[in-house]
Amino acid sequence: MDLKVKYRGQEKILNFDKDKVKAKDVLKALGLSKDFAFVVKNGEIVDENETITQNDEVRVINAISGGKIS
Amino acid sequence: MRKCFKCSQKAQVYLPQHRLSLCKDHYLEWFDNRVEKTIKEFKMFKKEDKILVAVSGGKDSLSLWKALTNLGYQADGFYINLGIGEYSETSEKLTTKFSEKIGRPLYKISLKQEIMPIPEIKKHDSRPACSVCGMVKRYYMNKFAKDNGYKIIATGHNLDDEAAVLFSNTLNWSIKYLKRQYPVLPEEDGFIRKVKPLCKISEKESAMYAVLSGIEYIEEECPFSEGATSIDYKVFLSQLEEKSPGTKLRFYSEFLRKMYPILQKSEEKPVLKPCKICGEPSINEICSVCNLKLKLKKQEERV
Ligand SMILES: [Zn+2]
Ligand SMILES: [Zn+2]
Repeated sequence: MDLKVKYRGQEKILNFDKDKVKAKDVLKALGLSKDFAFVVKNGEIVDENETITQNDEVRVINAISGGKIS
Repeated sequence: MRKCFKCSQKAQVYLPQHRLSLCKDHYLEWFDNRVEKTIKEFKMFKKEDKILVAVSGGKDSLSLWKALTNLGYQADGFYINLGIGEYSETSEKLTTKFSEKIGRPLYKISLKQEIMPIPEIKKHDSRPACSVCGMVKRYYMNKFAKDNGYKIIATGHNLDDEAAVLFSNTLNWSIKYLKRQYPVLPEEDGFIRKVKPLCKISEKESAMYAVLSGIEYIEEECPFSEGATSIDYKVFLSQLEEKSPGTKLRFYSEFLRKMYPILQKSEEKPVLKPCKICGEPSINEICSVCNLKLKLKKQEERV
């Protein structure tokens, strides 16, 4: 399936060879760690084992930021 | 399905390092409490203090501003438009919108008016953009706070920022910086007290708080921060964290508890004096911002 995700203010299409994936597969496809990223499915933050289908509205948040100086 | 530890509704958030599952409302409550605890632990400020929050439009500073307001602190915002194209436009818009939403004043200055935009400065200065940017932010924050009767500046530095800096300073054994790595920098020599109430909140925790409270923040990275080494350290530390949750918090907290006091015992502090031009504290006769201004002026005269 092709999954549409919102990521850092942009829309991205992720390609999977299954029709159902888990939140962790979405993170993996974007190369993100669950330690600093998470998936928001239909407005709710979900666990890495939550199932995601094509009909879900998916937003991926990458919390890592750089260049901050004290 | 994970259930909230407090009310047994479906949990949205799981915090591995605290082994805690929480629903939305209890997570927001947990976050505010953790910020309050940190403020008390490090004796950062009291309810009657007027606080200036350095806001950038990012998740950390806006979450901080929100939590302080929820907790009943008098926190106003200060924003510097760095003149970095669309990135600055968007972040200013989101910050302004947020200040209206929470009903707290936001003070803004523009680097274009004060000196020149970061991309222009970058053409004349060989230092990494982030270090020039940090320098001007520190300068105008301190000056604005003093001129407007604020005794405390609060910044949104989170646990990951602090752990990454601590890691880098430890790799280099930069004693000078390690000695100053504390979530409270006292008021001294013309510098206003600076505090980091999110120092025990991870980057992900702060982003989840922003998302769950419906804060619109700028998700894009500053175009100049690309390739910042701090990100490499963060990614590396997160690999350790995934294998063994709690590593970052332990690394940072135990530094503060065990190592920081030892470092304070060895004395030798730089002497600061007022800058000859603007009066702000400086190690040299002329402070780094005035120095930059002089340099830029000279280069312009040459053109
Ligand atoms: Zn609950
Ligand atoms: Zn000066």
